[in-house]
Amino acid sequence: MAPQARSETTRQKILNAAIDLFGEVGYAAAGLGEIIERAGMTKGALYHHFDSKEALATAIIEQGTNLTLDAFHRVSQSSSPALENMIHGVFVVTDLVVTDKKARTAEQLTRGLAEFNSAASQVWSNRLDAITTQARRASAEGDLREGLDPYVVSESILNAMLGAQLLSKTADGDDHVNRLTRSLELLLPAIVAETSLAYFREFLAREYLRHPQASRSTD
Amino acid sequence: MVMTDTSERHAADTSERRADTTRQRLIAAASHQFARRSYSMVSLDDILAAAELTKGAMYFHFPSKQALALAIVDDLNEMSRAAVAELLTRRMSGLETLIDLVYLQAVQNTQNEVARAGVRLLETVDNTTDLSTTTWQTWIEFVTSLIQKAVTEGDVADHIDPEDVAKMLVALWVGMRRISDLDRPEHYLDNLQKAWMLALPSFANPDRIDYFTQFIKRRHALAVIKVSDEPHPRDLNAAASARADP
Repeated sequence: MAPQARSETTRQKILNAAIDLFGEVGYAAAGLGEIIERAGMTKGALYHHFDSKEALATAIIEQGTNLTLDAFHRVSQSSSPALENMIHGVFVVTDLVVTDKKARTAEQLTRGLAEFNSAASQVWSNRLDAITTQARRASAEGDLREGLDPYVVSESILNAMLGAQLLSKTADGDDHVNRLTRSLELLLPAIVAETSLAYFREFLAREYLRHPQASRSTD
Repeated sequence: MVMTDTSERHAADTSERRADTTRQRLIAAASHQFARRSYSMVSLDDILAAAELTKGAMYFHFPSKQALALAIVDDLNEMSRAAVAELLTRRMSGLETLIDLVYLQAVQNTQNEVARAGVRLLETVDNTTDLSTTTWQTWIEFVTSLIQKAVTEGDVADHIDPEDVAKMLVALWVGMRRISDLDRPEHYLDNLQKAWMLALPSFANPDRIDYFTQFIKRRHALAVIKVSDEPHPRDLNAAASARADP
């Protein structure tokens, strides 16, 4: 193996061990010693790649939240109506958080470190930007209620996402998806134009039905 | 030593790039011709004149007009494969995926010259190769799998043979493209939407027809925006309700 590839493998091994430990005991209780032990590495190897526990957390936040943001962007690139993309994108992100360990740990670290870590504080505003882009298009496509500010609509959706994440029992994907769906059901009449409402209620119901399998795969 | 190595690699890169551009120019010029005229009416001289290339340059890439035509069909199939792969990552239901695919292809077939030439060639190259038979068969199999999925999802009635529905839909899609003037993309999209609205009740579950009627109208409205030069998105509600009666 080329030295560069080997170094990358080492780095990823350390990250995976950190993802496991942060996920199990939380950021505060996780010790670098245990991460080194789990990764089967030396202290030198760890410090070669990460100069602190926070550097580890930053890398995990960046990798994990890129996964979810990329997934949302992929959905947004589709030629479907923007409000469909927005709803579908929110579920795709939730699915990733439920099923992907790296994405889930990144969310947990983001919530815990948002006030202290610049990578973490960037996450929610990036997400808000991505949703707002779709909300603007949805507004131009006539699917949002007239006079609504797309930015405020996006904030409410982001609030629903974050709330569902905070309140759901750890690793219970069904609970998470249920909470998100209930919030969106309540939000729809407030944000969707009268004539589109029936269609989007059906769209949301179908979206919800599609997800139990994906969210149960964590068990 | 290092210098020679790099400069040789550089030279190889450049000539590879040049070969790529030549191939692309030939495909583009040929697509422009094949998209508008029948295969037999297109002469190699026209293609070479438009591409500003010599016969020698062409023979390096394609030994004949037929080879050029087959390469265009291959490019089209590659584009379709990529579009399908991309759509499947969205993990929508079977029938939603199918309708999305139909509209993606409809826009592509009017806006992209290689695609437009490719679908036309597919209908004419079948005398000498089995390429078009294979292509249609692949489409029918893929659409069948989507309809089967739609049956398990409750969108398509379960007393109908999915393969029968697939054959009808592929025929409808190919036929509508054939009888429409692709230079008038809005007209083509209109024909396509009407045909789908007529076909939908023959295989969709009655309680899903309203939803899919809306689903199709929304995609139709967006496709119309794509093929026209309208700078601003159009009101999807207005577009959907304006054509309340299919």
